[in-house]
Amino acid sequence: MKLSKFWLMLVLALALAFTLVACGGDEDDTTTDDTPDQTDDTPDDDGDEDEGEETTEGPQQGGTIVAGMYSAPGHQFNPLFYSDAYEANILSFTHESLVALDENLDWEPSLAESWEINDDYTEITFTLNEATWQDGEPFTADDVVFTYETIQDEDYVAAGGVRTNYVANLESVEAVDPQTVKFTYTDVNINALYDASFIIVPKHIFGDVPVLEMPDHSASRNAGEVIGTGPYQLTDMLEGEQYVLTSYEGYWQGAPNLDGITWRVIEQSIMPGLLESGQLDMVAEPNGVPAADFEAVDALDHITTYVTQDFGYQYMGFKLHHRTTDDVENGVIDPDNWVENEKVADVRVRQAIVYAINRQAIVDGLLFGMGTVLNANFPEASWAFDESAVNPYDFSPETAEELLDEAGYVDVTGDGFREDPDGNEWVLNLDYPTGNQVRERSAPIIVENLEAVGIKVDLRNPREAGPHFDLVEKDNHDWDMYLAGWSLSAADPDPSALWLSTAPYNYTRWNDATSDELIKAGVQAPDAFDQDYRKQAYSDWAAHMSEQVPQVFLYSADNIYAYNANLKEVKHYPAGIYADSHLWYLEQ
Amino acid sequence: MHKYIIRRILQFIPMLFLITVLVFGLAKAAPGDPLTGEMLDPEIDPAVYEIRREALGLNDPIYVQYWNWLSSVSQGDFGKSMQYTGRSVMELIQARVWNTFYLSLFALGVTLAIAIPIGIYSANRKYSLFDYGATTFAFLGLATPNFFAGLLAIYVFALTLGWFPAQGTTTALGLSGFELFIDKLRHLVLPGLTLGLASTAAYMRYMRTEILEVKGSDFIRTAHAKGLSNESVLYKHTLRNALIPIITLLGLEFGTLLSGAIITERVFNYPGLGTLFLNAISNRDYPVIMAINLILAVSILVGNLLADIFYAIVDPRIRYD
Repeated sequence: MKLSKFWLMLVLALALAFTLVACGGDEDDTTTDDTPDQTDDTPDDDGDEDEGEETTEGPQQGGTIVAGMYSAPGHQFNPLFYSDAYEANILSFTHESLVALDENLDWEPSLAESWEINDDYTEITFTLNEATWQDGEPFTADDVVFTYETIQDEDYVAAGGVRTNYVANLESVEAVDPQTVKFTYTDVNINALYDASFIIVPKHIFGDVPVLEMPDHSASRNAGEVIGTGPYQLTDMLEGEQYVLTSYEGYWQGAPNLDGITWRVIEQSIMPGLLESGQLDMVAEPNGVPAADFEAVDALDHITTYVTQDFGYQYMGFKLHHRTTDDVENGVIDPDNWVENEKVADVRVRQAIVYAINRQAIVDGLLFGMGTVLNANFPEASWAFDESAVNPYDFSPETAEELLDEAGYVDVTGDGFREDPDGNEWVLNLDYPTGNQVRERSAPIIVENLEAVGIKVDLRNPREAGPHFDLVEKDNHDWDMYLAGWSLSAADPDPSALWLSTAPYNYTRWNDATSDELIKAGVQAPDAFDQDYRKQAYSDWAAHMSEQVPQVFLYSADNIYAYNANLKEVKHYPAGIYADSHLWYLEQ
Repeated sequence: MHKYIIRRILQFIPMLFLITVLVFGLAKAAPGDPLTGEMLDPEIDPAVYEIRREALGLNDPIYVQYWNWLSSVSQGDFGKSMQYTGRSVMELIQARVWNTFYLSLFALGVTLAIAIPIGIYSANRKYSLFDYGATTFAFLGLATPNFFAGLLAIYVFALTLGWFPAQGTTTALGLSGFELFIDKLRHLVLPGLTLGLASTAAYMRYMRTEILEVKGSDFIRTAHAKGLSNESVLYKHTLRNALIPIITLLGLEFGTLLSGAIITERVFNYPGLGTLFLNAISNRDYPVIMAINLILAVSILVGNLLADIFYAIVDPRIRYD
């Protein structure tokens, strides 16, 4: 009796399993309607006339693409308060700024049609395009004023906002008329266009909301209620899985050709398989295709790839100075109080270390060649990039040994490692974080390279990224060298935020009067309004920095984008492929 | 019995209190806070982080922070996430808890459906080819790391054969009713099998050992002597007694039902509590850590209590008063 019950259950369970598989077949047919397969099917359904006409007359209408990212956004879709790269990714389709970066990394009009800067460079006046918000309301100068005044609000930071740098020099912003807005700066501002490039939010939605309540507001977080001026609207989402962007028919530059873009959160390791099977049409921001998968993805016939140098880079910093415990506790950055780190004080030692590290081998071995060895912080696409200004420091252990010998660091005890000029033991500490795998794996290689020229390195246990960077900043300790990276935007090459001796982000604590002078010269009005002048200033600075070696530039990884070859009109800009996404269309 | 249950539930209160103190202390003892490691964007003024620390109360002494947390929790407010700007902890958990629950239930179903019959069969045919085969299979499942088994399942069943979806919990938004149910069920199959097969071995071996043990006892010999058929002895007498330890295991499992399976969730991008918990820990998102911990503690305590109650029901020798 009991036995037959058991078999009955088993039969039922198996039956259910088969039904599921069978349903699978049907389901696949219906669901792929949303995915690229549909684009293959549609011409057959629509008949030949459609196809013939449209291929000759330009972009075809319709179709949806599925794009993938490896992690879910944190669901803060208010540009004033978003915090992660995944949210930024969605916002780049839904929202816009007054100006945007073009293929030469110059500012081009976006929501602003044109602008004028006054003679003493303290005011910039924008004439706005006639755009509308995705709920149909007109976009006006009041929205711009509202956006910037919110950032200026005293509660903005406490509410969770961090982008106060856009208003650091801003005195006031006023709407001259609905289509004209004027920014007034406290001082001469050579970066007025960058300062005016913040994403604009709608006043008619947030105007009456207290700043402290804005991040919680439903229009900051719920699909369908997030309103921008961009070509696509976030219309639906499923937490951690899917973010559905639907084309906005009323977009001021013309309705997008695509019906929409669906962002799906996917596991990175199966991304190449999904691209191959057609379940995925695009992998772009924020991580792109991992270098290790590039070959497999590039080999797919139906996928187009685009490779561009990332603006950020990885480096090995020297702790040239340490702050005192008092200064760290009080958050003071005062170069006068700093304590010099004797172990890396000799410039020849630092130069020797760059020569000793085989950086090209790191790029070839760990990044599969998908990266560039750097010698200054300007990416090749930037106008400030000047290859001739810097020493290339090609891998040369011999030069490294010569420099160390010359500096008096020789092996007197015969243990295979060099002692300092006084004959004392000389060990450099190297600290590094977990998280970025390539960086993690580069640490032992660097140690091996340095030990090959007789430099003894104490490679410490890696820390979690958070605590590691916390210690990079709170540096009243015994660090000599550390691994870190900067992810940088392309907006302006001005190095002052990272390199001025008084800058909080000057983590190497490099205190060099010449460098400070050259950095300041680069933004000195009125000369700095001439780009050639600035180019020269930054070349001079890069040359000085390259000689002084406050840090070892390691590499910048490539950004690798991949998308369905049928997707046309995708712009290959150094800053990414999202420009003019309303023009994208699927060729059938 | 009622008294026993009430007493047990009252014991929960000091235990939960101790657990929260311990977890809060440990979380705070770990280096860093939700804003460490954020100072990596040179466009952001570092003063911003100090203001935010102050606003989040991170500069208060630990006991003040704990007290603030405790007093709002006792009013049913789990607070706001420090990592996800503007989102409440309850909202984050609600968005994931059901996913985790369904996945764990499905996996448990798979485990039991496979382990119990095989365990019984193996015990009846001790040292047979089938017994060895089943043991090998089960231990293979136990020894295969979940991420590997998961990727293998995706490769074979999702990418090559196309039978089941590879990622997520639903195909398209906007499904409803029976269609949605079937769609969700189909998304459960691969992660559920991956998770379920991994723990089959333990249950199977328990089942087999228990049956063998019970089979040797006197009352089974009596039953045989009464002239009952083999099947009747097995299902009426042996199995009922052999299932008792399985109930203990299930009671413990109940707690892990909600904890999620971090690795399986990641491989299948199945948004559940496991990944939320892991992210919260690595970002020092204290309110989320504490809330999930509390949920886990409660479910493990309740699971154990339920196991003890069921004991009394299935095993007449056990009496509580």
